[in-house]
Amino acid sequence: MVTSRIGDWLAVAWQTLTSIGGLLLEFAGIGPDVDPHTRVTFRAIADAVVPETPGLAEELGPEHVPGGLAVDLDEFTVTYVDDGFQLGLPHLGPQGNIPIADPIAHLLDSAALTLLEREDNEREPDLDRALSLLGPDDPSPAAVEEDGIVGPFAKLSRRDRLRAIAIVDEFDVEFAPTDDDLLELDAGLVGQLVIGFMEMIYYSEWQGYDEFTQPPSRRVHPNDRSAVQSWRQTGFPGFANGYAALRGYVGTAESPLGDGDTWATVDETADVRIVRESGAFRENEYDTSGYVEPFPAESG
Amino acid sequence: MVEDSYDAVVVGAGGDGPVTAWKLAEAGLSVLVLEAGPFYGNEQWPRPNEEPGGEASSSPEDLSGDLLDEQFTTREFEMITKLVFGPADHERGFWFRKFPGDGAILQCAGVGGTTLHYTGCHPRAYPASIDEQGHWPIEYADLIPYYQEVEEMCDVTPAPVTAKEELFFRGAADAGWDLIEDLNVTEPGYRPQPNAIRQPDEKLHVDAGYDGDFTYPDVEGDTLALGNIAGNPHPRGAPYEEKSKRASNVSFVPPALRTGNVTIRPNAFVTDVITVTPRGDTPTAIGVEFRDTWSGSVEQVDSDVVVLAAGAIETPRLWLNADLPANEWVGRGLTIHFGDNVMGLWDPDDLDETIGSDTIDQHEGQDIAARFDYPGVGMLQTVGTAPGIGAILGFGASASGFAFQNDTAGEPWDTIGRLAGTELKRLLSDYRRMLQILVVSDDRPHQRNGVTVAPGAADEHGPIPIVNYEPSEGDRQRRDELARIAADILREAGASHVHRSDSPPTALHVHSTMRMGKVVDEACEAYDVNRLFVADHSVLANGVGGANPTNTGQALAARTGEKIVERHF
Repeated sequence: MVTSRIGDWLAVAWQTLTSIGGLLLEFAGIGPDVDPHTRVTFRAIADAVVPETPGLAEELGPEHVPGGLAVDLDEFTVTYVDDGFQLGLPHLGPQGNIPIADPIAHLLDSAALTLLEREDNEREPDLDRALSLLGPDDPSPAAVEEDGIVGPFAKLSRRDRLRAIAIVDEFDVEFAPTDDDLLELDAGLVGQLVIGFMEMIYYSEWQGYDEFTQPPSRRVHPNDRSAVQSWRQTGFPGFANGYAALRGYVGTAESPLGDGDTWATVDETADVRIVRESGAFRENEYDTSGYVEPFPAESG
Repeated sequence: MVEDSYDAVVVGAGGDGPVTAWKLAEAGLSVLVLEAGPFYGNEQWPRPNEEPGGEASSSPEDLSGDLLDEQFTTREFEMITKLVFGPADHERGFWFRKFPGDGAILQCAGVGGTTLHYTGCHPRAYPASIDEQGHWPIEYADLIPYYQEVEEMCDVTPAPVTAKEELFFRGAADAGWDLIEDLNVTEPGYRPQPNAIRQPDEKLHVDAGYDGDFTYPDVEGDTLALGNIAGNPHPRGAPYEEKSKRASNVSFVPPALRTGNVTIRPNAFVTDVITVTPRGDTPTAIGVEFRDTWSGSVEQVDSDVVVLAAGAIETPRLWLNADLPANEWVGRGLTIHFGDNVMGLWDPDDLDETIGSDTIDQHEGQDIAARFDYPGVGMLQTVGTAPGIGAILGFGASASGFAFQNDTAGEPWDTIGRLAGTELKRLLSDYRRMLQILVVSDDRPHQRNGVTVAPGAADEHGPIPIVNYEPSEGDRQRRDELARIAADILREAGASHVHRSDSPPTALHVHSTMRMGKVVDEACEAYDVNRLFVADHSVLANGVGGANPTNTGQALAARTGEKIVERHF
């Protein structure tokens, strides 16, 4: 028992120390601060994946105009990919996670250069496009160019940026964001993170949180369609406790599957209907002796 | 309180481990279940993602429906992030597994494992996949009594029909397919999903005028609120065991705890299998070593039998990292039901004519409640999702690049590939008028596909799983055939636009990496290590024909529990 108490005390002391360590690292700039080049590159990604679309106003309505940048999708995606994978050290909290947003941003620059070398770009790269992505906290346009804050990816047109991301899918090379002993990520993960995850984050409830990085028990979400830009665009009404949406069960006059009043007829020839009450599946005899492989069944 | 020694240690409280644990405990054995992830809905861990909480749970009194209500918010992004395979601590990222291309493995950590976000689908294997494809050393008939037992424990019944299922059934019927009424399916056709979700209260019929708040005890059973992928705590207010979805934490964990013989220790990642080897003999498993994921401390526990139930990725990883005897099939033969997504979109007037409403409203009803079976080829199932998951599944990933780069002339779909930009926003503006069909193919075990480990690529639990998956030509043909059938069904149901993802290989269903007949014998005991059993989807000898694997995995885990008792106790 005493041993266990000492163990607990040591655990708490270690946790406290490492939390302080994490804070110190953060103060020393070795932490979640985002590199300006990464920031601009992720804005360029968000701007291509979920763009502002003034052209949809007339077709679909004004709520369909704003895109990912209007809700800081880029910033959250950087946080998400940097917090997404960890070294496995307890007590380090977010400091134990592997930041991969920076290498992703550089990889996209190299994909952009490949696109340009292949002359597969639809439009010429343009610095002004990248400058239009700068925010109020960013360095001046002159400094931006001088310091390499804008890479080739951010200068591409939206569609060419998507083409560059598609090139990343072809890369067989692997890159190691930290060092060889820890972890290697293959380039395929990049497309998944910057397209798939960005789309999932944007169209999910994410934007409605006060602060998603809060501990789960302290997160607040209004669950209100008007509080989430993407919900206004998809018509998703928010999460509900239930819907009185039951139409019934599938059945036929002879089937054990369902019975009772008919709601609708699905197939008149075979007498398949949606009926009021459920039945059960049949524990049928079966015979597989006539089984034929419809397609080549190579195995081994 | 975790003891130093048990009759059996079960590694993993996922879909299958609790089934074997329950069987062993019913026979009077003392059982410790070690689970890498947290234990949701348990009073020992009121904040399972924020603080270490208690050590272990041995009593059904610990189970709390209120805590499940609080922890399973049904908010899709939060719940995916919470449940996907990783440590309980919310500040730490996922446990990394290397998967080829831009696919992924979707597994959960926690008591209940991947059944926490499965959609309750509980069909049996196609009989021919077991009796005719040449992979299985036992017969389909051997599994039937166990299927029946599992189906009763999980309340498996025909899924209810809402608008999206009616639309699918109409399309399937118009495409010329027949209704299937059977549990043992040998011919192609459509049917309601056999779901391990208690049927909805009849008050929720569209004609019944329900205007309550869908909470227990006003309503019992499913509340048709989607949300199974996000954990499904419905009906809100219900006690733990009255939750409608019969994930293994709800169906098998409570009866296992009620025996008084089972202790479940979450946040415990097993890193080694301890063996002894009498000179010249086969090694015998005598226990495991595990690591507490909160404190990092390492402990060992002894047992007469070790049961690996960590899933088809982690079980072979553990075998390989534990340096157990080499066997050329350990980790090999992975099947993932090489899948795809085919999405239909409708014009309002066409919908109104077909289903009497100008929206489908995929967010109403159960996530997956209608299916199409095709023994020898695989299956299709309708999928309702909230828009975030819908976006990533339907549009966010493709092996064909972006849709604007692809020509679809002569194809049964209007667009194929990844969608982003204006096209994405335009299609998703029709979220309430879209229906997604998940293509699930009967891919076959190939030795090149599977899990390996390599020194250097390691995390705190040793070398990480490195997964390879490359479908064969036959696997591709089966998937293409199913995608064409899906497009045809959507067209027959009146869809005005059909989009195919051409998804990269993604592991939603993961099996056959420790196959019966190759790595384990007919009782699922390892050929090369005595008293080491495997009771998870890795022992399935193939992908059970493309049918959802949970029922078969659980049936086999129940059978394995009985075999362990017969053989060693």
